[in-house]
Amino acid sequence: MKDLVQRFQPVTTLFARLVLGGVLLVAGGLKVIKPTESANAVAAYKLLPTNLAHLTGYALPWLELALALLLIAGFMIRPAAVVSGLIMIVFIAAIASVWARGLLIDCGCFGGGGALDASLAAQVHRTYFIEIMRDSGLALTALYLYFFPYGNLSYEKAAAEE
Amino acid sequence: MVLLVVVTGVVFSLMGQNKKENASLAALDSTKLKPAIVSTIDAANGSAITLNAGQAKTVDIWEDPQCPVCKNFEGANGSYIESLVREKKATVRFHVLSFLGDESVRAANASFCAAEEGQYLDFHQALYAVQSPLENSGFWSNDKLVAIGKKIGISSTKFANCVTKGLKTDMVKANYESMSKFGVKGTPTVFINGKLWERKSPDFNIAEFKAAVEAA
Repeated sequence: MKDLVQRFQPVTTLFARLVLGGVLLVAGGLKVIKPTESANAVAAYKLLPTNLAHLTGYALPWLELALALLLIAGFMIRPAAVVSGLIMIVFIAAIASVWARGLLIDCGCFGGGGALDASLAAQVHRTYFIEIMRDSGLALTALYLYFFPYGNLSYEKAAAEE
Repeated sequence: MVLLVVVTGVVFSLMGQNKKENASLAALDSTKLKPAIVSTIDAANGSAITLNAGQAKTVDIWEDPQCPVCKNFEGANGSYIESLVREKKATVRFHVLSFLGDESVRAANASFCAAEEGQYLDFHQALYAVQSPLENSGFWSNDKLVAIGKKIGISSTKFANCVTKGLKTDMVKANYESMSKFGVKGTPTVFINGKLWERKSPDFNIAEFKAAVEAA
């Protein structure tokens, strides 16, 4: 079994890079074309002072895109995985905080965002749960890449292979 | 390198936002100030700006100047509401709310200042014409609100003074605080003859609203 895991590690790593990088690419890409929406979406979490929230909203899509390209190309994988993992933890904390404070918002994870109507409460709470599960999965993917950064189709290779 | 990409992106987005907001003021270039309408403050009704007090039919409109859906409501029904006022068909009360942040507070204050000049409707329309898609972006500073007034022809020093000094803050507060009394949870909320109006169509359309007002 251990051999099997080891044998498939390069493929698993490639898969992990494509999943994490792919999600970041889509999320960043959808937001980067609508910076205003993204800035409004961050402000809706009511965690940061308005100005800072808007700046975060402008910066986040670019950060996500940059991380996505690094992960997909297989360049600086370990640092990119660490930063991706950290922002996933921030996302989880932000959604949990919104949930705990009883705010009803669209997370704006893939564009959109903002406050939602009270009539949607049950549905929104379910969505929060799914979003937290999804981001936890992505954080674990990032953790895996921290330990096994080198795999197939990667610009970076393990030192031993050189 | 990653940092460079992110910083460039932020600067790019910020500049784009500012440029768009300032360009939106051009929408007011051809605006002409319409005849003044005397308004009163209805203390019994949450200190709303009241136009045509004393008519049999009443329409209460609860809005926040920064609320994007209120802009849609105004876009669909604004001219009909203006005709209700100008043709004295109904008493129209505008409850100017400010729960979307500081910029709503400033815009609401300026709205009360414009009402004092008899130009509430003009100013109200101008605000929606230039409303920024980004809430609390810093666009509606007091200076900019004075400039918006000047652009549509409200140029008295009294108005400018009222806006910059926030002289109507107590009215703004009274409107905001009356929300719970009237069971208003969001905007736009409309009451026709005191009865909550609920739209059936997904978007605001003039035919539906007009029919509701005329049937009341």
